[in-house]
Amino acid sequence: MTVQRSDVEDFLYREARLLDTARFEEWLDLFTDDALYWVPAGKDDIDPSRHVSIIHDDKAAMATRIKRLRSGFAFSQDPASRVHRLISNVEVTGPEEGSSIFEVNCMMLLVELARKRQTIHTARCEFTLDRSAAAWRIRRKKVNLLRNGEVLESTPFLI
Amino acid sequence: MQDVGSLIRNDSVHRSIYTDQHIFDMEMDLIFNKTWVFLAHACEIAEEGDYKTTYIGRHPIIVTRLAGGTVTALINRCRHRGPIVCQHEYGNSKHFRCPYHSWTYDNSGNLIGVPMPQGYGKSFDRTQLGLTRVPRVAEYQGFIFGCMTEFGPTLEEHLGGITKFLDAYVAVSPTGKIDLFEGTQKCGYNGNWKYQLENGVDPYHVGALHLSAVTPEAMEIYRQGRGSVVAMDGHGVTDHTDWGPMPVDASLSGGFNLVIFPNLIVLRSQIRTVRPIAVDRTEIYTNAVRLQNVAEDVNLRRMRDQEFEFGAAGTFFTDDLEIFERTQEGLQSGAVDWVVFARGLDREEMRNGYMTGSMSDETQHRGMYQNWKRMMTSVTSPALAAE
Repeated sequence: MTVQRSDVEDFLYREARLLDTARFEEWLDLFTDDALYWVPAGKDDIDPSRHVSIIHDDKAAMATRIKRLRSGFAFSQDPASRVHRLISNVEVTGPEEGSSIFEVNCMMLLVELARKRQTIHTARCEFTLDRSAAAWRIRRKKVNLLRNGEVLESTPFLI
Repeated sequence: MQDVGSLIRNDSVHRSIYTDQHIFDMEMDLIFNKTWVFLAHACEIAEEGDYKTTYIGRHPIIVTRLAGGTVTALINRCRHRGPIVCQHEYGNSKHFRCPYHSWTYDNSGNLIGVPMPQGYGKSFDRTQLGLTRVPRVAEYQGFIFGCMTEFGPTLEEHLGGITKFLDAYVAVSPTGKIDLFEGTQKCGYNGNWKYQLENGVDPYHVGALHLSAVTPEAMEIYRQGRGSVVAMDGHGVTDHTDWGPMPVDASLSGGFNLVIFPNLIVLRSQIRTVRPIAVDRTEIYTNAVRLQNVAEDVNLRRMRDQEFEFGAAGTFFTDDLEIFERTQEGLQSGAVDWVVFARGLDREEMRNGYMTGSMSDETQHRGMYQNWKRMMTSVTSPALAAE
């Protein structure tokens, strides 16, 4: 299977746009049922069975997170954060012969505006993407925040 | 300056305790420089030479385990020109060297190396220039505290009735000892540190602020109104043990929350350390608690739930952080000076020697603020009294 890097970039831009425009249910649909959504704490490379993370969600936990954001009672998102994401430095590895799994690295610049305060995050993101079906699916999204070891302000939006 | 004691009434507190920088400065001196402050859990510095850096009020602190196993705490400040001598959160070292002029200390604080010492002349006495030691360090059930005064209540006297709750907390672990998972959740908010202390033992808010996050089963238990709140020796307790004991899975189904004045919160599968930065800035460091000799999936669930609910992106904690910042903004208004803590005043009663209120009452907050008032108005500190 061959894909152009621009195909992957288009997908990553779409993923970013779904989050920036609060289309969370469509975003969730991008993920496989066994997906992992992971934001490590402290440093990028930790063993999440021994070390705490900022977010370590399976798909059910992601759905619960979204349900909360939609509940009308998620006070930390009233009003909702406004978020802009810039995706860059996209590198695609794979797939292995006979596989449809791609490993993708990219950089993300995420700017959040909430409570009159602009917060800037940068992250090195890792995606495991599955192209076996007609559309791209995300099996793993890992966001390595530059500040993952620092004191963070409340981060109630989806990263 | 008005009398600080007058800022605490039985049914309310004055807003300036959250907004006045001078009050904050007094708190650093009369509370954090006087009483027992939580520093570390024993498992964070398990081996000889292990250290952790933390704070007592404004003092940067190194807590370290010495050869032989005893724990000492040192002010992390070179005695020469003042830089911190250790800039890492955790590590293992027998010595600390200030890179500025290479003054070097062993890990019990003794000054063991000064380049070109002859330049200081004959009167130079390096034994007087070791890292300043925190006068007292003590441990209870693995929780290590430091106290900046040499005299005064022991740690166990300070904890009072809380000791039996800490006994019960660690007894959930089959070995009677708890560990922490690696890593720390670090969050900050633009608000006063005492909001977090109030909030750590505040069942009243759970069904309101956390409506979007609390499960229907837990909400049902809260609505039943069982459980009690206790003003315990200056600390705060919410006691849910009539629902059930502290659950091994750390679910919202029983047990208790502890606010150990002035900087430690223990609840479910987490210990939270409160670090006051300024009158309107606070940092919270949270660690997930691991039990010994339980199935790995049970421990993993404890950590995953803690992350999901109480990290920087936590479904509970983000709403807490939000309300702390809104409170700081609202209390800028002096149109009304008093903040209400009157809930349950007409139904609380002495039980087992402690003032005890119903589930949603504010008895525990009143107890903490009476303790705050006592400390903030004590004319002679224990150290001065002993001199």
